Amino acid sequence: MSRLTFRTKLAVFLRAFLIQGSWNNRRMVGGGFGFALLPVLREVFRGQEATLNEAAQRHSEHFNSHPYMANLALGAVSRMEERGADPEEIRRFKIAVRGPLGSLGDALIWAGWRPAVVLAGLTLALLGAPPEWTVLFFLIVYNLGHLALRTWGFRTGLAQGSDVGGALRFLSIPRQADRISGIGVFLLAVVAGLVLGRGLTANLEMALWIGPAALGLWLGSRVGQKAFKPLVRGVAALMIVIFLAGWFG
Amino acid sequence: MNYLLLSLMGGFLALDGTSVGQFMVSRPLVAGIVAGWVVGDPALGLLIGGVLEVYFISMFPVGGAVFPEGGPATLVGVVAAAQLGGAPGLAVGVLMGLLWSRLSAWSIRLLRRINGRLAPDPTATGVTPRKVATAHLAGVGIDFVRGAILTFAGLVGGAWVASTLGPHWPLDRNTTLGLLAVGASVPAGAFVASLGGWRRRRLLLGMGFLGALALGWVL
Repeated sequence: MSRLTFRTKLAVFLRAFLIQGSWNNRRMVGGGFGFALLPVLREVFRGQEATLNEAAQRHSEHFNSHPYMANLALGAVSRMEERGADPEEIRRFKIAVRGPLGSLGDALIWAGWRPAVVLAGLTLALLGAPPEWTVLFFLIVYNLGHLALRTWGFRTGLAQGSDVGGALRFLSIPRQADRISGIGVFLLAVVAGLVLGRGLTANLEMALWIGPAALGLWLGSRVGQKAFKPLVRGVAALMIVIFLAGWFG
Repeated sequence: MNYLLLSLMGGFLALDGTSVGQFMVSRPLVAGIVAGWVVGDPALGLLIGGVLEVYFISMFPVGGAVFPEGGPATLVGVVAAAQLGGAPGLAVGVLMGLLWSRLSAWSIRLLRRINGRLAPDPTATGVTPRKVATAHLAGVGIDFVRGAILTFAGLVGGAWVASTLGPHWPLDRNTTLGLLAVGASVPAGAFVASLGGWRRRRLLLGMGFLGALALGWVL
């Protein structure tokens, strides 16, 4: 049994930034997981070529996770491989965590943190902040959360091995995600209010758009994410018709 | 304007979207402002990026969902808009951004198919660490090339749309903004519905909207 060096752990942490590099429908982030874990496998199975090949093969199997939360699994599997855990036990662990790591990360980051910070940036811009401040604010605040989550996940995985469930429960991610989503909804209302308030101040005729916009909000809330494709087609088609009307008119 | 450099920038934005890091440099808000700096008009970049950001706000890339890619699409939109300026520029920029986001989604589907063929089959014999690493890094490289080609095609297409259709946009700036705001209200409604719904979030929505409306009026 070997003890993982700092250099190996750092290599895995850095490679994890590329975990979705070969995303595909059959193995999802499986190839990326195997790629990120290679430094650990090379260290643990040094001088055992057949075992190293077999380990690289089994870690390239199907796996899925939110890319930031995958660090928790990478840390835990690194620790399990270092301790010489049975390959079947590691496989079962990966199967057990892939669902929760995907759904928790999606709720916390894609539906919570990212839109909330984007909308905070838009709010700043609408309040008159210069574009460079808007960009800096968004990138710094967003990535503070992003990098903190990646670092926490990897360190926790390394420290706790297959017992990472307790750490996930301790964080109560669904509750935190719901709070952040609430902030996102609040900021969306702020953006809408600022756009309308400033629009009306500039030109009272903008009030004519309130009715159609309210209808759009209602429609969006009824149809949900499925509205995106028809919306893009509809808006693009309408704009092309207006262009052509201007051309021939 | 150097299309080659802009295409390379599009390649890097495509990488940030999925394959490398996901630091969100590829979000329309950021890509728009950065593209605005490149063309010498950050305020225009902020406007196009901000509008596209609201259009994409309800799209969450959960599970294996294919999502509209905002980075290269926003870059294409801002560069096209900068050739015209004013209401026609805004219309051309948003139109190109929306169309290219759909084209990006299609190219991502193709990329995933290629990645599936490149990846070594874990059930086959002869899988080595080198093969795993090579297939993975090839996926990253192909994604970069995809983003660059997509951006280049968008820059050429955008220049054509700006020069042929652009001058014929008949609406003024306020009407154009109103039209785009109505379109953006649909994903905004979907966003609220996805995150708890109107009834549950009514207090936050009411406070945020009315407070900001008053603030917007005063400012």
